Amino acid sequence: MNGMKYLLLGCLAALLLAAACTAPQETGDVAIVYTKGTGPMPTLLATKQIDGYIAWQPFVEVAPVAKIGKVIAYSGALPPDARWENHPCCVLAARTDLMGRNPALVNDLGAVTILATQYITDHPDESAEIVADWLAGKGNFTYGNVTVSSVDVLNRAFPTVKFVNEPTEEWMNGQVEFIYALRELKALTGSLANSSDSESRALLFDTGPYTQAMSMIEAGSFAIPEPEDKPVGVGYLLSDHDASLFVAVKKWQYFNDTYGIALKPQDEKATRPDTVDLLVKGQKVATLKLIPGDAGPQLMQLAATDTAQFAYVGNPPAISAIDKGTPVKILMALNTEGSGVVVTTDSPATDWDSFVKWAKERSAAGKPIRMAAPGKGSIQDVMLRYALEESGLSVQEVQA
Amino acid sequence: MRRSLGLILPILLLVGWEIAAIVIDNPFILPPLETVIPVLLHPFEDILGTGSLFYNAFVSLTRVGFGFLVAVSIAVPLGIGMGWSRTIDALLDTTIQLLRPIPPLAWGPLAIAWFAIGIYSMGFIIFLGAFFPVLLNTIDGVKSVKRTWVEVAQTLGASERQVLHRVVLPGAAPTIWTGLRVGFGVAWMCVVAAEWLPGTTSGLGYLTLYAYNFGQMNIIIAGMITIGIIGIAFDLFFRSVEDRWFRWRGLER
Repeated sequence: MNGMKYLLLGCLAALLLAAACTAPQETGDVAIVYTKGTGPMPTLLATKQIDGYIAWQPFVEVAPVAKIGKVIAYSGALPPDARWENHPCCVLAARTDLMGRNPALVNDLGAVTILATQYITDHPDESAEIVADWLAGKGNFTYGNVTVSSVDVLNRAFPTVKFVNEPTEEWMNGQVEFIYALRELKALTGSLANSSDSESRALLFDTGPYTQAMSMIEAGSFAIPEPEDKPVGVGYLLSDHDASLFVAVKKWQYFNDTYGIALKPQDEKATRPDTVDLLVKGQKVATLKLIPGDAGPQLMQLAATDTAQFAYVGNPPAISAIDKGTPVKILMALNTEGSGVVVTTDSPATDWDSFVKWAKERSAAGKPIRMAAPGKGSIQDVMLRYALEESGLSVQEVQA
Repeated sequence: MRRSLGLILPILLLVGWEIAAIVIDNPFILPPLETVIPVLLHPFEDILGTGSLFYNAFVSLTRVGFGFLVAVSIAVPLGIGMGWSRTIDALLDTTIQLLRPIPPLAWGPLAIAWFAIGIYSMGFIIFLGAFFPVLLNTIDGVKSVKRTWVEVAQTLGASERQVLHRVVLPGAAPTIWTGLRVGFGVAWMCVVAAEWLPGTTSGLGYLTLYAYNFGQMNIIIAGMITIGIIGIAFDLFFRSVEDRWFRWRGLER
């Protein structure tokens, strides 16, 4: 009996020694689990299958609201220092054949998006409510025993997202940085696999529609598009990052009266209208089909098959699609920042530095923490990997 | 009496569920019934802006009805042909056995590319689910019509057409009906796969997926229960027809 005890103690000591040798305190491992979206994250966190996650809003706020986790960092503040401030996130992309065939339509949708973004900046509370209506009919979310209003969750989430459209130099350089990150993940195999930075930018962007849209807004008059044979498909994500589209549709009367351009839903009572008319000076000039998607790659697939001609989508899916030869260009930003890192309530971490300390301790103890990310190569995945590696932690993918 | 026996287990399951939920005390693993039942008790109330349970069930049923009817209208004639003619059977059997094991869900990407977003791509997935059970049962039903019946009809001077109409079809009807029953069941199962296709905005399958995107376990479970209840209702319908019209199959032989 005693012999057994000593043997166990000896083993433990040997293990600790081995752990100490292979994993000194300055480094460590973090395991990453990909959950194909954000839906399972609260459940995985509450059932202790993960120690934390990185997600887009409003799923960051869900954890504190449901009392299953706490936010330790919003994406703009992740290391390296200031590296992710104003990081690119969702973008508006369009098929190049439509841009060639019907530039006025592309410019008009750009203009509506820009006007809606201005509205969001001026009326954040009302806009948060519109998003809660679009995503959840202003209904309640139930997480475990906690039931919260979707309006409250969106009100918390909204201030952490920056709604901007201008395709600035800084923003474009940020996108090129994502190309580097995606190359490291071996996610780029086509035209962007070895392109120079200037080649990459030429492949990714066409900022013409933004400039055109801005000058139309300044002039106060909007171009009449060519008639299209069938409704134009507009793919979008069910995320507050695409708020400009939701606000444009729900406040169509305001935009129509104020600017003479609007996206009027055919069924005004619908929570998530699926067919909208583009109005210029009160006249219907095009019909758009709004197609919700669960994730960006799915929307880019729709763009590749010409089912959707526009996509309100995250930048990595757009970059990957362009790399694979999908004829789309990124026209403008929809938002920057707007993601965050969450850990369990009983974690000792309260900010990024204490999180890193915790992760290293757990790694040294042979139980590396597990973090969930929505998908490999997603914005969130890329930022978490950069931040972890910057802090001396290496990433191990959980295989299953 | 038989009905009430069948109810014992579901009731025990519900009681067991509630007890387990209290013992586990983690609603993320097992949500207590009190979060699920309110959803079921308000079938006309909007859920997360996706419409009511009733509305989504109606939409799903329309889609399944469409896919199922198309499947039946192709599978039954084809099955009769394959059951009746060795040549047709030899011609088609390999292809059908090759396609049959492919899960309808795997056709999703092609369905979208071929039939575009909407009822046709969803109908295609449901069609695939219903098609094979109906086809195989029809073939089986036609093949298992007693040779003696056919021979008697032929000696009495019936034409091939008359034999098919008056002997083979009625003789195969019970098995074909079983095929329809199984086929509808599989079609109904496929509605979730079909409604997970991109661009969908309604239906019970979509509602569960939408709730999943927001981690709403109680709505997911309520959706599953609704799918189960509708499934059992249709199965009861198919069975009651079976009992009423095809009883002779059990008596004969």
